[in-house]
Amino acid sequence: MTQTAEAAAENLPARRESRAEKLLSWLIRGASPAASHLLLLPAAAWLLVFLLLPVACLLALSLATRGPYGTVVWSFTWANFGRALNPMYLPVLLRTAAYAGSATGLCLALGFPLAYYLSFYAGKRRETLLVMLMIPFWTSCLVAIYSWMIILGRHGLLNDLLGRLGLIQAPLPLLNNGFSVVLGLVYFYIPFMVLPLYGSLEKIPRAYLEAAYDLGASPAEAFLKVTLPLSLPGVFAGCLLTFVPCMGDFLTAEFLGGPRNFLIGNLIQNQFLMSQDWPFGAALTALLVLSLISGLYFYQRLEARQIEP
Amino acid sequence: MDERRYTRRDFLRVALAVAASPTLLVACAEGPKERVVNFFNWSRYIDPKTLPRFTKRTGIQVNYQEFADEEEMFAKLRSGALGYDLIVGTDYMIPRMKALNIIAPYPPGVLKNLGNIDRQFRRTPYDPDDAFTVPYLWGTTGIGFNKKKLAKPPTSWLDLWDPRYSGKIAMLDNARDCISLALMLKGYPETETSDAAFKAVRDLLLKQRPLVRQYTSSTYVDSLVAGEVVMAMAWSGDVLQAARENPQLDYVIPKEGSYIWVDNLCLVRGSQHREDTLRLVDYLLEPKVAAEIADKVRYASPNAAAKPLLDASLRDDPRVFPPKREMEQLKFHALLDPDAVELWNDTWSDIKVA
Repeated sequence: MTQTAEAAAENLPARRESRAEKLLSWLIRGASPAASHLLLLPAAAWLLVFLLLPVACLLALSLATRGPYGTVVWSFTWANFGRALNPMYLPVLLRTAAYAGSATGLCLALGFPLAYYLSFYAGKRRETLLVMLMIPFWTSCLVAIYSWMIILGRHGLLNDLLGRLGLIQAPLPLLNNGFSVVLGLVYFYIPFMVLPLYGSLEKIPRAYLEAAYDLGASPAEAFLKVTLPLSLPGVFAGCLLTFVPCMGDFLTAEFLGGPRNFLIGNLIQNQFLMSQDWPFGAALTALLVLSLISGLYFYQRLEARQIEP
Repeated sequence: MDERRYTRRDFLRVALAVAASPTLLVACAEGPKERVVNFFNWSRYIDPKTLPRFTKRTGIQVNYQEFADEEEMFAKLRSGALGYDLIVGTDYMIPRMKALNIIAPYPPGVLKNLGNIDRQFRRTPYDPDDAFTVPYLWGTTGIGFNKKKLAKPPTSWLDLWDPRYSGKIAMLDNARDCISLALMLKGYPETETSDAAFKAVRDLLLKQRPLVRQYTSSTYVDSLVAGEVVMAMAWSGDVLQAARENPQLDYVIPKEGSYIWVDNLCLVRGSQHREDTLRLVDYLLEPKVAAEIADKVRYASPNAAAKPLLDASLRDDPRVFPPKREMEQLKFHALLDPDAVELWNDTWSDIKVA
């Protein structure tokens, strides 16, 4: 039925706007500016239902009390936050920040040259390479994690290979330590770094670079004075998109980590699923979100101040 | 220029497919006379042939899902995950699930095969009236190990504290197994909650922590097989299942004794498929079916009528059915009040953070 309708629409003489098209025109270019605000409606409704309401619930939960057998008693208390600020948990937070920071740094170090190549040299292969970058992202992350366990194990593929090549005498400890956790994080989050970097490099008008060369800049100078500064928004966005999810990641540490690699995400997951202490888990989550948001806010203030003068 | 052009028709097709799929799902779920049981069980805890045979005999579909961590299963049910009809819950979990109205009592007299259950597993401390539970399988907690990598097999729980195996030891990741073990090793009853006892528990487990490669309830068997760890605190059948294909694996109940636990079939409160669920439970109680499941998963069956039908290699295995003298050293986990559960969980959480 739709096909006939479509065929009919295609056969019509050139222009008579249908009602739907009129509505669309009204929305897009709106005679009244208020109409275009309606474009915000779907996203706003989505965010309200799936972001703001859950966050509000989380905050409410963080002020409640744990009841018997992990039930929630709705009596107001700050105690969960007091407990979350216990110095005992500070090393976990610092460790998480260190892992997320090194994963972000590594992603940047690996991702920037890659994005640069994609944007400046990949030519026809660009689409293929971009798809290849995304492929790991389409596999189930549990499958990927188990594969890493097979590769990194004491008798895993990598140690086996190195041993056969005579490069190592005893197996290297590659699994269940900080190395394997950071490696896992880099593996999972590198597309989040490369894509914004690629986007920002792609946006740099090549004429700017030609102008720099015409004015006698060497390739290095042109890179340092033109390309790099203009790619900074991408660097910032990439770091943000990598660092924030790394801070909350728990699966990687759960499977690739050991007892010494317990992260804040694991602590939170433990409260919800093992200790059955949802209010405390909610308080930890609220503090994590709060510290990430305030970090972001101050960073942006700093940025803005640097640009102004 | 080789730009792929998406025609409107392509778009329409995709849009229709996307739009139609939820409608289809809803249509499936709403079939009024649908004969199905939603069964939520531990992973690797049934013979893959069992449920298809049940469906063939009765026409009742079984929607089978697995969990690897019981606390996660509990969290899922507690947060109101709807749609499960039958779940498997371990003994210590029963009072909790009863208190929170997650499980429902069995209607008396409906299960024809209930009499097959060994009396030893009836009138249990966690279900004194036999109202809420039908025992499914039982097992023990002990040490799984790799024979080839150890000079001599472990005999004591304290072998898990042996610094020679630093970085090659795995421990179960849950409060119930680890705290109860530490209490037992320190000579306290399981119901003890004094500060002194818990300081001792904490110290003992923290002393072991630097030696532990991983706290895990789900991947330790893989780690044993791969040689990542040489000893792991383990559940009997998990190791014995893997030992069939990896003869270097073995399992022992240490000399200090250990805990025995029973996994039970429980009816979920509010289930829409009660009658079909009861038929499934009755089917699982049939001696032949119970025996085939136990043979497959290498856990002990509480089904007395099934015992003669068991594979001799399982029936005569002292690691599965410990001899009488060893059996006397095995205890059920004690019932803990909510405050004690909280203390256990917090202690365990703190040990992992430390």
